Amino acid sequence: MKPNLFWKYFIVIAPIVLAGFLLYPTYRSGDLEKKDASYKDANGNVIDSVGYADFLTKYDDDIKSNKSKRIKLGLDLRGGMYVMLEVDIVKLLEEAASRDAIDDIFTQVIEKTKIETDLDDGQNVLDVFVKNFNAIAKPQGRTLINYYEISGEISEQNILDKLKKDIEDAVDQAKEVIRQRIDKYGVSEPSIQKQGSRRIVLELPGINNPEEMRQLVKGTARLEFKLVRNNVDIVRAFYKIDEYLTKRKNSTIATATDTLPASDSTIAKVDSTKVDTTASVTSADSAKNDSAMQAAKAADTANPYAGLPQEEQQKRYEKDHPFTSLFISYIIQNQKSQPISYVKDDFPEAEYFFQIPQSTELKFNAIMNRSDIKRLIPNDLQILRSAKSSSPPNASNPIYTLYSVKRDAELKGDVVTNARASFDPQSNSPVVMMEMDADGTASWARITGANVNKKIAIVLDEQVYSAPNVIQKITGGNSQITGMQNAEEAHLLEIILKAGALKAPVKIIEERVVGPSLGEDSIKSGLLASGIAFLMVILFMGIYYSTGGMIANVAVLINVALIMATLPLFQGTLTLPGIAGIILTIAMAVDANILIFERIREELARGRSFRGAIDEGFSKALTAVIDTHITTFITGLILFFLGTGPIQGFALTLMIGILSTFFTAITVSRAIIEIMMSRGSGTISFGQPKS
Amino acid sequence: MQFLHGTKIDFLGKRKTFIYLSLILNVVGILAPFVLGLRFGIDFEGGTEIALQFSEKINTAEIRDVIDKQFEGAEIKSYGKENQFLIRVVTNLSKDATSQVIQTLKDKYPTEVITILKVDTIGPKVGNELRTKALIAVLLAIIAIMLYIAFRFEFTYGVGAAIAIVHDVLVTLALVTVFSKLGILNLEVNQSMIAAFLTVVGFSVNDTVIIFDRIRENIERHKGMNMIKLMNISINETLSRTINTVLTVVMVLFIITLFGGEVLQGFSFTMLVGIITGAYSSIYIASAFVIWYLQHVKKVDVEGDFTRQNNTELLKASKV
Repeated sequence: MKPNLFWKYFIVIAPIVLAGFLLYPTYRSGDLEKKDASYKDANGNVIDSVGYADFLTKYDDDIKSNKSKRIKLGLDLRGGMYVMLEVDIVKLLEEAASRDAIDDIFTQVIEKTKIETDLDDGQNVLDVFVKNFNAIAKPQGRTLINYYEISGEISEQNILDKLKKDIEDAVDQAKEVIRQRIDKYGVSEPSIQKQGSRRIVLELPGINNPEEMRQLVKGTARLEFKLVRNNVDIVRAFYKIDEYLTKRKNSTIATATDTLPASDSTIAKVDSTKVDTTASVTSADSAKNDSAMQAAKAADTANPYAGLPQEEQQKRYEKDHPFTSLFISYIIQNQKSQPISYVKDDFPEAEYFFQIPQSTELKFNAIMNRSDIKRLIPNDLQILRSAKSSSPPNASNPIYTLYSVKRDAELKGDVVTNARASFDPQSNSPVVMMEMDADGTASWARITGANVNKKIAIVLDEQVYSAPNVIQKITGGNSQITGMQNAEEAHLLEIILKAGALKAPVKIIEERVVGPSLGEDSIKSGLLASGIAFLMVILFMGIYYSTGGMIANVAVLINVALIMATLPLFQGTLTLPGIAGIILTIAMAVDANILIFERIREELARGRSFRGAIDEGFSKALTAVIDTHITTFITGLILFFLGTGPIQGFALTLMIGILSTFFTAITVSRAIIEIMMSRGSGTISFGQPKS
Repeated sequence: MQFLHGTKIDFLGKRKTFIYLSLILNVVGILAPFVLGLRFGIDFEGGTEIALQFSEKINTAEIRDVIDKQFEGAEIKSYGKENQFLIRVVTNLSKDATSQVIQTLKDKYPTEVITILKVDTIGPKVGNELRTKALIAVLLAIIAIMLYIAFRFEFTYGVGAAIAIVHDVLVTLALVTVFSKLGILNLEVNQSMIAAFLTVVGFSVNDTVIIFDRIRENIERHKGMNMIKLMNISINETLSRTINTVLTVVMVLFIITLFGGEVLQGFSFTMLVGIITGAYSSIYIASAFVIWYLQHVKKVDVEGDFTRQNNTELLKASKV
């Protein structure tokens, strides 16, 4: 093969291979979803829970990695909820002022700022506030110093700086609070983004209870300080839960099988006699655990599974400990931590700590939320999870820490007046400084005094953000929290600690809900229309331009595949307008081909040789193709930056489409023609009338 | 297969007639929204819009009676199928209008299963912003394209193209307003229609660019030919392409208007109108403007052959 020709083949085949490679995750993901659905009934309830769990463990990574690379459908196609929230900055400015200082003049400034910023988002609220303050309050001899108290050097500039920072923190905090709540609620693939200076945009696929979601995002966050009690009591409680669950399984099977009279006795028999034969009772998989436990009990020694292979031991242990095997428990002795097992109820008095991988969290929560299980946990304790994982940011199965804390909070977060992340020059590590008001200071001194060397959890919305150790009694109300991994973590804690101090409610200013049935209908009609349109175009091209038209069709097909394949690379979502964008691109692609073919025909009509006509046709049409593509691209660009939501989806597909059309129409069609010519086609028909 | 070959139509000879026609259409385009009233979608209007589906066919007027009692100025219309309705109420966001509407309907039709298809709730502030943004987007796109064409061809050509785009937008607006008023299609100005208008801006200019491109080429080829003749030749030479492209695109859009469902209908109809006027305006607005400019501002004799002045002017015009 001539090297020149090799590149021609390459140009045709490479995009196909690339598109296939990039589209595979979408295909695979759909495949896995089908398998996923096969374990569920029509309402999405799991039928075969054991099989489903196996499926999830086996394909967990596969599902996740393919999901992240597949084509994402927009809310209009898959159904869900879109919410735009705005943080009420005016309220924040009002609340930040000292209560006693607020007078008519200040109220006037606030009112005016409120009216002005309500109409227009383009302005910075603080700027408007300052403008109004200067116009109304300044002539009456007031300065910001009259209204705002700050620590450190008191100047107007410092107050402004602090307000500016507070505003930023308030928005970040709102975002963080909402993110945590949504994660907890279990929305799959939510998107939470800050837009502009004070807005947060949520995209929540698959949500069909907007009322619940609305309450979730609007509620104010509760910051509390709770004592950590990772002691032997909780470990014993965990042991009891295991015991209870394994016992309970016996009776569950008995009741479940009541409806199947024949099998009832069979299972009972199997349980008491032979272990291995239970495998035949496939539908009642849990029976296996049962008998495993029986076996374990029968050989109740130090290691109940002694003599079995390692793997089998592990398996048996997990079956016998359906609850405690969901997480890892450690005992801290002599400054060292060591994993413990729940084989025997002989736990020493000590400090413990617990970690849980994300994969088992759902199961853990499901068990913990059962009322019969709740009874087993000491009344004054509750189990909370850390808000952040200790694993690297993109770990496939991040590990979280579990805390057993006192149910009643020692202190509420609204006593915190300020928090500031900074850097300790001595230890060269990030720290967060926390200030409290007079009431808080008094209580804090009492609490810290009574709990030296114990941990106090900083809890926001029932999630632990940090659980620092109390080193000494803190009397001045100023605490220093250390132990953060990096500045980012310190900043997060700062924002969280301000939850009590920053009173900036969020308002919903835009909300869209697409029900799942509309999404399906839209996909169907959109796809149907696109399909028919595409077919018509292909037919037209094939008939009008003959072989040339078919070449163009191949190029257009490659083009569509390329657009679909590159979409996920740009984090693009496929929306209904996006489908319209693709159809439009097909039109653009066809236009480019028509332009070139008409030119070739013209050159042929002028009596040029076939080779010459091809060269001339492509080169002369090139400038027009470039110009038409660039003008359309410009509009796409403007749409992308000024549009929102679905319109952006349209603009993105349009832009990707134009790039790939340009490539396919100019390069791929040409390469196919060259390949055909090299294989002996002296001429290719472009549908021109025979002369 | 070939539809047209070697046509020699005197397009620009009749330009005055067509320009008057365009002017009339444009005036309609400017006035129609004010006289007939433009129906703004929920995106720009603000309020709550609920699309819902009953298990059986229900009379629109009946629903209107029920809803009107509770929400003054509510709008109710059918949405695609006979049992699907679109209810729009003016609310502030603090109230949960959706639940209220659903509850009211459930009380009235206790046996019906009501499915919510979609709900859009837009605060007045957002509506205002979106409207401003949309206007900015269209203007910005026109200016950007004008500058690009001015850079690629001559400034006059850029202005010609820009005028042609404005023309297309106005004609499309006129037709959308009229069609919407006549109730033939469910058309309202919403975000996706703005997207359609912008696409019209981007796509209709293609025809203009292609004709200009051919004019540029022909000025070199037929040195000294008068401008009208030259433009007519260029338009005729690109006619086959224009017809075929417009035909395929129109076919695509027509199918989407018919089968693409409620959501895409406004979009595709707007584009359909825009594409057709785009092809027309590339000849009678963009090219005609260049002629007019050469004739009246530059005082070039556009109809006489082989004049020295003519030749240099044209060469200048062809400068890239």
